[in-house]
Amino acid sequence: MAILEMQHISKAFGGVIALSDVHLTVEAGEIHALLGENGAGKSTLMNILTGVINTDSGEILFDGKRYPNPTIATMERAGIAFVHQEVNVVNDLSVFENIFLNRELKTKMGLLNRKRMIEEASELFTRLGVDIDPCAMVSELKTSQKQLLEISRALHASAKLLILDEPTTALSTQEVEHLFGILRKLKAQGHSFIFISHKMPEIFEIADRYTVFRNGTFISSGFIKDTTPHKIASDMVGEQYLDKDYYEPRPLGETIVELKNVTGHGFADVSLEVKKGEIVAFTGLAGSGASEVMQTMFGVLPFEGGVIRVEGKSLRGGIAHFMESKLAMLPSNRKENSVVPDMDILDNTCIAEHCLSKNRQMISARAEISRYDELRKLLWIKSESPKDSILSLSGGNQQKVFLARWLNTKADVLLLDNPTQGVDVGAKAEIYRLILECAGRGMTVIINTLEIPEIKKVSDRCVVFSEGHVAKIFQHDEINEHDVMLYSTNAINTRGGANHAG
Amino acid sequence: MRANKGGFAGIGSFLAKAWKRYSFIFVFAIILLVYSFTIEANGNTFKWGHITAILASQNTVIVGTMALGMALIIITGQIDLSVGSALVLCSGVSIMAFNMTNSVIITLLAAVAAGALCGLINGVLAGYAKMPPFIVTLGTMLIYRSMMLSLVRSIDPVITGSSSSQFAMLSENSAYDALRMKFGTGSLPGVSIPYITFVFVAMMLIVLLISRRTKYGKSVYAVGSNEKAAFLAGVNVQGVKVSVFVITGVLVGIAAFVQACKIGNVTPASSGKSYEMYAIAAVVLGGVSMSGGKGNLLGVFFGALSYTTINFIIVSIPQLTTDIQDTFQGLVLIAVILIQTVGPFIKDRFIEARKRRASRKQARLDRAESKG
Repeated sequence: MAILEMQHISKAFGGVIALSDVHLTVEAGEIHALLGENGAGKSTLMNILTGVINTDSGEILFDGKRYPNPTIATMERAGIAFVHQEVNVVNDLSVFENIFLNRELKTKMGLLNRKRMIEEASELFTRLGVDIDPCAMVSELKTSQKQLLEISRALHASAKLLILDEPTTALSTQEVEHLFGILRKLKAQGHSFIFISHKMPEIFEIADRYTVFRNGTFISSGFIKDTTPHKIASDMVGEQYLDKDYYEPRPLGETIVELKNVTGHGFADVSLEVKKGEIVAFTGLAGSGASEVMQTMFGVLPFEGGVIRVEGKSLRGGIAHFMESKLAMLPSNRKENSVVPDMDILDNTCIAEHCLSKNRQMISARAEISRYDELRKLLWIKSESPKDSILSLSGGNQQKVFLARWLNTKADVLLLDNPTQGVDVGAKAEIYRLILECAGRGMTVIINTLEIPEIKKVSDRCVVFSEGHVAKIFQHDEINEHDVMLYSTNAINTRGGANHAG
Repeated sequence: MRANKGGFAGIGSFLAKAWKRYSFIFVFAIILLVYSFTIEANGNTFKWGHITAILASQNTVIVGTMALGMALIIITGQIDLSVGSALVLCSGVSIMAFNMTNSVIITLLAAVAAGALCGLINGVLAGYAKMPPFIVTLGTMLIYRSMMLSLVRSIDPVITGSSSSQFAMLSENSAYDALRMKFGTGSLPGVSIPYITFVFVAMMLIVLLISRRTKYGKSVYAVGSNEKAAFLAGVNVQGVKVSVFVITGVLVGIAAFVQACKIGNVTPASSGKSYEMYAIAAVVLGGVSMSGGKGNLLGVFFGALSYTTINFIIVSIPQLTTDIQDTFQGLVLIAVILIQTVGPFIKDRFIEARKRRASRKQARLDRAESKG
């Protein structure tokens, strides 16, 4: 019997269609893997299910009841719990206080009944096989314990369906095993799970059935035992695209950036050489270390071991050092890491260049405006006046302004961390066009992206990261979404499902 | 669309824009108008003398000069509560330097150096040691003042220039006349604007220039607006955070020098009390956002003038005794800030409602079309 049925769900944000007539059915007592690339619509669907956002159309049937207008409170009461990627527990309270948060047991006097709460918490932990002291402070727990605490809390609130959003990203192998043991036990007790993960081996270990979304549409659903990692990977990325019109091979120069056995935050022993004029794509799922390597290459994160050389010079220290060696990095997460909201377009463009030319402090407005105009034409930025607020621009145009910010520094090496995040299709294509143009003029571009089809359009090589290591380096002709997905989900090592050289 | 309505709407939108950018001038004009009414109501005539009194006031010149630095600190998203105490410290050091050396230059340098040091201590603790600026400067506020309280009693009266509780400039020094009589209390003949007001205006112009026309100035705004983005664009965030405290220290030093020349003495127990609050008030009246990233230094100039004028209005109402005056000062301040913070909120709500209505209308039209 199905515990959850979501039928004909559609949702659009402004003009962007996030979900189009999708459906999802979860049986009682099963672990259901929800799969898809970033932006496929998984989060949107889960947000609709938990009442965070409204659906435009479609219906939700949970535990035999229809929910036409789900709100966070009604869905919580109905028995749906969302265990988020970032663990959502209160660090400054003890374990049992977290479990009873907003549901505290009181004595007849109206005071907190600590004793009973502690008793009930330890009963709960014994039942689940979780080894946590109910009186410990949450801040002292390991991430895996916090995760279990959150699951326990949901179960204590008598959740019937738990949504686990990439629950294993921060866990070690043993911790994952422990978590899976508990999940199996709960499954046997009749609880259901929606399990969101990018890690293919895990899915094949724990899930009973799966559903794949791509670009906001339903692609496939079925039993895990009837499918293969290959089949799922191709469902996730699709078979079409790969328009080759952009890419053409260019003559490459000498090695300009060299990483030798670099170990840093979230990655270890990474070695890599990049040539002048080359376009190299980094890819890897969250936690794979791809973004961290890039940030380390710009001095944002420190590194512990190894050497980073740019044009033969060993580099260390903060961002300023790397900028002086003609590196530039467009960070991911535009709103948080790039937008200076109170400054106009012009100042947003010039801020990085200002840091390089500190010795001449006075600003020539006229020179800056004419420089901006050049960049605006080069990047096709649609802005009225450089004195307008940066917030008056669309996401895509903002991103182009931040590209202009770094092109304005006359850098030789451009690091782009997820540059097409949250920009529309048109602006995306223009950003890729620009990357090729920069490389054509001798710039070196390294781009970290999850959008595998895009990689093929522009890059000479693709470096796949997995669990903090370089899993595989593909040459342009070898780039193939299938294989990239297999290497980044690490399916290749465990299931051994494939032989696909070239 | 608006342009089609002709010249009248053009003026309207020009005024709306001017109001948005230079609201502090309008605020000052309104407050000045109210002041002139209260003067007239008291049976006197509003004269040029009233305006020069505003320009010459402690609250304009001393607090205003400190407020310029405070504005930079607030723009970076920090706060400095120690400026009032630092003012006393700098004045005391400056007066002692004067009494010992009888040199104008050394008197000025002593004040500026003491101020810069006070600012550096605040800045290093807040910027590099990453302590909350509120707490750091709360601590130094207590330290700077109490140091002078104990110094004034323990140092030889020949150096402090006074018997027990004050630092005072020795009038028998030969430079006394130039500093105190000519500079500190004199004014430009003809317009009778005090010289010390020109010091304030000069400081305002310098800080305005730095904030608008230098790369450093832009980085100050960037740090306050989005620290993370500024850092990732190569801005030395900690350096900027420390530097604004040092600049404020220098300005406090200059204000202390001016204060010493104007008054001739300083009393650690009472001088400069609550000046940090007055400076913050002037900054806020000048339209600088307390959340950082936004604000015009020209506004701080008018903010200081507005604050002084508000004081003058309250003092000029005979029904208000000295005891109740602070209540009214506080009320006016809260009212102005309320307009500043609630105003944009109301505007956003208004715009949002309009957008919603438009989209509902669009949806209705779409539906009608699809049915048709």
